[in-house]
Amino acid sequence: MILALKALIALGALPAAVLSLWPIPKSINAGTTFLTLSPQFSIDITFQSPPADLLSAVETAHYYLANDNLERLVVGRGAYDVQDVQSAKALSSLKLSLAEGAQVNSISAESVKAIGTRSEDYQLDIPADGSAATLTANSTLGLFRGMTTFSQFWYQYDDKVYMVSAPITIHDSPAYPFRGFMLDTARNYFPPADIIRTLDAMSWVKLNVFHWHVTDSQSFPLEVGEFPELAQKGAYSSSAVYTASDVQNITTYAASIGIDVMLEIDTPGHTTSIGASHPEYIACNQASPWSTYANEPPAGQLRFTDPAVVNFTTNLFSAVAKTLPSLMVSTGGDELNIQCYTDDAQTQAELTSSGLTLEEALSEFTQSTHGALIAEGKTPVVWEEMVLDHNVTLANDTIVMVWISSADAAAVADKGYRLVQGPSDYFYLDCGAGEWIGDTPEAMSWCDPFKSWQKAYTFDPLANLTDSQKPLVIGGEQLLWTEQSSPNNLDSIVWPRAAASAEVFWTGATGPSGAPLNVTEALPRLHDVRFRMEQRGVKAIVLQPLWCALRPNACDVNA
Amino acid sequence: MVPTLAFACAAVLASFSSVDALWPLPTGLSVGSTALRLSQSFDITVDVQGAPDDLNAAVNRTKSQLWNDKLERLVVGRGSVDADAISNAAELTSLTISLADGATVRSISEEAIDALESRDDSYTLSIPETGSGAVLKANSTLGLFRGLTTFSQLFYYYNDNVYTIEAPIDITDKPAYPYRGLMLDTSRNYFPVEDLERTLDAMSWVKINNFHWHVVDSQSFPLQIPGFTDLAEKGAYSSSMVYTPDDVSHLVSYAAERGIDVIVEMDTPGHTAIVSEAHPEYVACAGSAPWASSANEPPAGQLRFTEPAVVNFTADVFTALSKMFPSKLLSTGGDELNINCYDQDEVTQGTLNKTGKTLEQALDSFTQATHSALAQAGKTPIVWEEMVLDHNVTLSNETVIMVWISSDNVAAVAKKGFKIVHSASDYFYLDCGGGGWVGSSPSTNSWCDPFKTWQKSYTFDPTANLTAEESQLILGGQHLLWTEQSGPENLDPTVWPRAASSAELFWSGPALTNVSSALPRLHDVAYRMRQRGVKAISLQPLWCALRPGACDVSA
Repeated sequence: MILALKALIALGALPAAVLSLWPIPKSINAGTTFLTLSPQFSIDITFQSPPADLLSAVETAHYYLANDNLERLVVGRGAYDVQDVQSAKALSSLKLSLAEGAQVNSISAESVKAIGTRSEDYQLDIPADGSAATLTANSTLGLFRGMTTFSQFWYQYDDKVYMVSAPITIHDSPAYPFRGFMLDTARNYFPPADIIRTLDAMSWVKLNVFHWHVTDSQSFPLEVGEFPELAQKGAYSSSAVYTASDVQNITTYAASIGIDVMLEIDTPGHTTSIGASHPEYIACNQASPWSTYANEPPAGQLRFTDPAVVNFTTNLFSAVAKTLPSLMVSTGGDELNIQCYTDDAQTQAELTSSGLTLEEALSEFTQSTHGALIAEGKTPVVWEEMVLDHNVTLANDTIVMVWISSADAAAVADKGYRLVQGPSDYFYLDCGAGEWIGDTPEAMSWCDPFKSWQKAYTFDPLANLTDSQKPLVIGGEQLLWTEQSSPNNLDSIVWPRAAASAEVFWTGATGPSGAPLNVTEALPRLHDVRFRMEQRGVKAIVLQPLWCALRPNACDVNA
Repeated sequence: MVPTLAFACAAVLASFSSVDALWPLPTGLSVGSTALRLSQSFDITVDVQGAPDDLNAAVNRTKSQLWNDKLERLVVGRGSVDADAISNAAELTSLTISLADGATVRSISEEAIDALESRDDSYTLSIPETGSGAVLKANSTLGLFRGLTTFSQLFYYYNDNVYTIEAPIDITDKPAYPYRGLMLDTSRNYFPVEDLERTLDAMSWVKINNFHWHVVDSQSFPLQIPGFTDLAEKGAYSSSMVYTPDDVSHLVSYAAERGIDVIVEMDTPGHTAIVSEAHPEYVACAGSAPWASSANEPPAGQLRFTEPAVVNFTADVFTALSKMFPSKLLSTGGDELNINCYDQDEVTQGTLNKTGKTLEQALDSFTQATHSALAQAGKTPIVWEEMVLDHNVTLSNETVIMVWISSDNVAAVAKKGFKIVHSASDYFYLDCGGGGWVGSSPSTNSWCDPFKTWQKSYTFDPTANLTAEESQLILGGQHLLWTEQSGPENLDPTVWPRAASSAELFWSGPALTNVSSALPRLHDVAYRMRQRGVKAISLQPLWCALRPGACDVSA
C-alpha cells in the first residue's frame, strides 16, 4: 500500500519538485533523487568584495535552511521519506557567482533602480551527485532571488534537511518588473515590527514593491522633518507614529531583501488628518453628513485652489521625496469629491478670483506636486481617476494604478500610460467581511465578495489590451485597506493570498511546462508556501483541512 | 478650546457612556456620572463561608484584570480626557461579594455544569459614588462570577489610575436565555489546548456559558477515548495533534471554573470517514470517489449503522465519552447523512435485505441505541435538525435540537415540540464568506456566502415565526466556527469580537439590542480583549472607535 503510493509520487516526479516552489520558475528541470544538506553545508561567494547585504542574505538563507523545520506535506509527513533520506548523498555547498563583467552592487542598490531596469534573473543548478550547487546571476539582486528559490526546496525530518527532486536546473526571470503589495497604515496603525515581518514574507515570494499608503483622512502617522506638526496632531497617538528613523529602517531593510518602498501620500482627497494641524488647508473638514462629501468618514480634502496649499503640498512632497531611496512616489489622486469644493466658500472665491475652473486648478496643483517630485528625480504614481476622470497634465512616464475595476485598464492604456494592476474586483484583500460603516445591519462590503486566492490567481494582466498596449502593464499588486484590519489580523488576511499575484506577475501567463497557470496545479504549492510561512513566524491561514493539504488534489471538486 | 470640548463631550456622553463599557448589557442598569478610582489598597472581600477555591481564583483573576487591563477609554484624547475627573475622584477600597441568605455554597465548577435550565447566573452589583464599599450579591457562586466579570469591565486605566466615570452604578442582571454558546470544530484543522483555553477565557468575558466542542469529523479524530485509543492513534493528524484524557479533563475544569459547560459532539453516523483508519469495516463509502456523490465534502465515509457491531461500537464510544465529559449535555450529531453512500454500499444493502428493515428504520434503531447509552449515563442528547426534519427517528422529548441549515427551519422544529438552540448558518456561521475551499474551483464563493457580520448576528430574532408557546422552546443560541479554512493562526480574528454579538443577544435579550448603540460597546469589548491577549479584529478605523456614532451611515 505504501509502496503503491510511492510509485504514484515517482510517476509525478516533476510535480513533486515543483510542489515546493513559489512563484514557479519560468523554466525548471527537476529529478527525483533525494539529497541531504551536509552538516558542513556552506554558501560560498566566489567573487571579490561582496556587499554587506549579500553577506547577510547568505546568513538568512542559512538560518532558514537550519530552522524552517518543515516536514513535507504528504501522508505520514517526514516519516514517509526516511528510507530515501538515509541513502541520499549530501550537498556540501552552494556557490554564488556573478556573470562575467557584472558590476558588484549591493542588493539594496539594485532593488531601488528604476522599474524595468532591475536585473532579477538567475540560474540555479543542483546536481544529484552531491557536487556543489551553483547559482549565477547578473546582479546581487538576482543572486538574492536565487537563494530564495534554493531555500524553498528543503524539508526537515529527524535532524536531516533534505530535498526530494535533484538534479535541478532552473533558469528564472520575472515576467513583470512590478510585483507589489499595498498596506494602508492610516485607517489603523501597524507598528514597524509588523511591516518588517510583512516585508520578509513578501521577499519569500519575490514581491519587490511595498506600496505604503501611509497617510489618509483618519490619521497621519508619518513624521516629516520639516512638518512635524502633521504627525504630532494627526497621528492617532504619539506612539502610533513612523519616525524618520523608522522610515529609514523600513526602507533600508526592504531594499536589503529586494524590495523597493513606494510611499504614497494621497492628495488632494483623503487628507482630513492634515486638518488636525492645518485646518485652514482643508475644505469640508469633518463636514456632516460625511456621505455628501466623501466616500467614507471623515470628510475633508485639501483646498488645492489655495496657493498656500499648493506650496505646502509641494514642499511636503519634496521633503518626503528626499528621505526615500525609491524612484517612485505616489501622490494618490483617488475619489476626489466635487461637492466638497462646490460647497466650500473659500474654494469658490479663489476660483472666481483666479478665473480657473476646478479642473484647471487641479491640474496646476498636480503639476506643482509632480514637478517637485520630478525635481527630486522621482517618477510620480497616481490612481486611475487622475487620467480617466480629470483633465490633468501628467508627465508621460507617470505610472497609473488601476483600482476601481479591472475593466478600466484598457482605458488607461488607451491614454498611453504605464499601469499597475490593482483592481478591486481581483486584488482587494479587505473585501467581503461586511460593511464597517455603523448602523448598517444588512450591508455588505462595497466590493463584495471576498477575493479568494483563486480569484486573484486567475487574473489576466493583459485582458482587453492590444498588442501595442500590453508592454504598458508593468505588473500588479494586492492591496489591504485597513478599516477592518490591524496587527491582530494582518498576517491572516494577507497570507497566503497575496502570494497569488506574486506568481501571476513573476511567472506570467504560462508555467514551466508551457501550460497556462491554473489553480488546480497551484494549490499544493500554495499549501507549501503557507506551511513554510508558518514555520517562519508569519500567521498565514490554512486554505483547506490538513487532510486535503496532505493529499494533493484529493479535495478538488471533481476528485 | 480643547479642555472645554473634552468637558462638554464627557458631559453629553455621561447619560449613556456606562453603556460603552459593558457587554453583554445588564438587564437592569442605572449609572451616574461621577468618577471613582480604585484605591491602591483596593481588595475584594469574599464574604462566603467556606468559599470554594474556584471562587477565590476568580476573585484573584478579577483583581489582576483590574490592574493589568490598562485600557484607556475610547475617546478622543484617550485617558488624558479624564485626568481632572480622576484627580478629584473618591477612592473605592473594597468590593464585598456574598451569597443570598440561605444559599448553598457550591463551587462555580459545579454550578456551571448543572442542567441548563437550573443554572442561576443572576447577580446584583452596587457601586456607590462615595467610595464606600461596593457590593456584589448572588444566589450562587456562578452568579458571583458573572458579577465579577461585569465589575472588571467597568474600569479604565490612565496614568497609574484605575477608574470609572459612571458611579454610582446599580445593576440587577440575569440572562434572557440559558444557552449561550460557541461551537469550534477541531477536526478539519487541529487547535492546541492553549488556543482552546484562550477561547474559553474570551467566552467567559462575554458570559458565554457553553462550549460546543465538535471534536471529531471525517478529516481527523484527535480525541483519545479510553478503551478506544486506536481511533486517535490512527485517525489524528499526528501523534502531537491529539487531545488526551488529561487534556480533556484539564479543559473541562478550566471551562467550568469560568462558568462554561463543555458539550462534546461526536458527529454520527455521517462525518465519520476517519473512523475507517482504525475500523475500515465500520465505514461505508470510505474515501470513495467522486466524493461529491457520497458526501458534502471530502473525504466521503459514514458509519454502517445497519451493522450490529457498529451499533454496539458507537453506543460504547458514547458511554466512554460520557465518562470523560461531566456535562449533562452531549451531541450525537446527525447532520448531512448521505443516502447514496448507503445505496451503493453492499454491506448495508445486504443487511437491510436480511433484516427486512428500511434504512430509516435502521437509523432509528441506531439512534435509539446511542441515545439510550447517553440516557443511562444521565445525559441529555443533542442532535442537528435533520434528525427531526428529514428522518423518522424516535427521540426522547427532552432532546435538544440545533438548527443550522437555515433560520427558516426553526419553526418546523418547534412544531415538533423539541427544545432548540439557534445555530443558523445564515446568521451565526463564522466561516462563511472566505471563498470556496474545495480545490480546482477558481470562481466559487463559500456555500454560505456572504460573510456573517456581527450586525447580522446581532439583529437575529430568536422567536421569529414562533407562537408564544413555541417561543418557550428556545434555549438560546450560538456562533459556530467550522475550520476548513481556520487554524490557530486566524482563530481569534475570525471569532472575536463577532461571537460576542450572540452572547449579548441571548443574555440581554432582543429587546435591549440596537446596532447603533452596540457598536461603541463592541469596540470596547474588542480593545479590552486585545489588552488581555486575544487578537480580536478592528471593526472600524480607530478614528471611528474614538468617536461614537461619527462613522454611522447617516452621521
